[in-house]
Amino acid sequence: MSGPLGQRGTKAGACLRAFVWTLLVAGTAVAAPPAPKTLFNSGDPTLALTPPLRGAGIAPPGSAPPNADPHNLEGVWWLQGYEYMLGPASGVPPPLKPEYMRILERRIRAKNRGTPEADASTQCFPHGMPRLMESPYPIEIVQTPGRITFLHEVAHNIRRIWMNRAHPANPPLTFLGDSVGHWEADTLVVDTVGLNDRTFIDDEGSSHSTRLHTIERYRKIDGGANLELIMTVEDPVTLEHPYSYRRVYHWRPDIRPQEYVCEENNRNAPINGVTVAK
Amino acid sequence: MRNTGGLLRTLRTLRARATRALPAPGAPEAPRTLGALVLAALLLAAAPAMAGSGPPDLTGVWSIVGHTSTLKTIEGSLPPLNAAARTLYEQHLAAAARGDRSFDGVTRCLPPGLPRLMLMNEPFEILQRQRVIYFVHQLNRLPRRAYLGEQLPEDPDPLYLGFSVAHWQGDVLVIESSGFREGTLLDDAGLPHSDALHLTERYQLGKDGRTLHARFKIEDPKTYTHSWNAQAEYVRRPGYEIPEEVCADQLASKLRQNGKD
Repeated sequence: MSGPLGQRGTKAGACLRAFVWTLLVAGTAVAAPPAPKTLFNSGDPTLALTPPLRGAGIAPPGSAPPNADPHNLEGVWWLQGYEYMLGPASGVPPPLKPEYMRILERRIRAKNRGTPEADASTQCFPHGMPRLMESPYPIEIVQTPGRITFLHEVAHNIRRIWMNRAHPANPPLTFLGDSVGHWEADTLVVDTVGLNDRTFIDDEGSSHSTRLHTIERYRKIDGGANLELIMTVEDPVTLEHPYSYRRVYHWRPDIRPQEYVCEENNRNAPINGVTVAK
Repeated sequence: MRNTGGLLRTLRTLRARATRALPAPGAPEAPRTLGALVLAALLLAAAPAMAGSGPPDLTGVWSIVGHTSTLKTIEGSLPPLNAAARTLYEQHLAAAARGDRSFDGVTRCLPPGLPRLMLMNEPFEILQRQRVIYFVHQLNRLPRRAYLGEQLPEDPDPLYLGFSVAHWQGDVLVIESSGFREGTLLDDAGLPHSDALHLTERYQLGKDGRTLHARFKIEDPKTYTHSWNAQAEYVRRPGYEIPEEVCADQLASKLRQNGKD
């Protein structure tokens, strides 16, 4: 430390520091927010993680019942919970190689300094994968011959999933990549490649390369009241090994995706405790 | 292109429901009759679609024919602007002539509003479902929804693309929209509108199934002395897959190139 208050070896400075610390500790005891989780539980406050939020609830009573056909995913779905970091588990980073873990640490420290790196979504670019599927906004699924379309409220992201066909040999690199799908019994399997490397895997800033490959397995559960996703993420450049996680989206027939104009300004804020993106 | 996958799925669902509606052996007579009636009604409902006499399927990618930046009435004249709106329109024209398009939110990646979005050069995709018609535009990936069997809200929230309801009049898809926010334009040139804009669109598939005729009725008593009509035509783009178009990214690249970033 430098400056008059931090000069070592002066009695006055030591007294002042002790006084300030007493105030700080007393203030902490009164407010008593739980200490934030840190990367690898290091306890280093500069590596504090943004905790998960509650996210959307289930449809209110009296809403239209879910469709019983397991191959009919049409309608509006809304993510349960909102994870800022979702590797193999909540608050656990993806298995990044050491050099990419250092980049993640740099980004978390920048965030905690109040100067986060501007990722794609904050510039009104599409969110990328798998992060888009982790966004706490409604998703409307539309099924037409040969296609399943995901219309995301957030920043009017759109995913076109082409059924029963292969990826092109050299797909152009885009924010949301090239997605193809097929049914395995009652599970929709979506395979995505051709992703550019301008997006983060998660809100904390885990890196991926253009060799990112995601495999999503969607299945209606609980009589169609929920849609389960098993997401598998592979990236031989940034990851030590692939990893998977599970997410649940609630059937929300009472919700209509709204006009979302990121390009104007994101004016959304939490409403009644339901989270929306910061 | 018929919606065969959707139709098959619907028939499968109907069959599954009809099977469930049938009573178990030994059940009372009335439910069995009801079950048979339900089955008959379902088959009747499915029959016209199978025969091809239901609403035409507009699902697919479409491109405008003869894109114009200046929307004219069907008669080919300047729309009937009132005095104040005419002054504003002329200001837009003058600004554009000196290279200043700051009056146009589209230059900042904002949604263009209607009917302008339907007049853009970029293709769009229609996803036609029973309750909603989706328009998904290549232009900055803008989605638009028209809800079937609903009325326009009386006090809509103002939005760039308004709120749209639709119904079929025979083989014509009629879309009514209101709830537009001020500041968007009706065309590239700068035709203004107010929050009182009420737009009626009528879409009819050509006999060849490859063209789509649109008629736009513009009612906006705050801006125009009387209602007026315009038209557009679209052609199917079989095999065309809409690429990911990100306006903010394109704009950022342009600003970087111009050294303004």
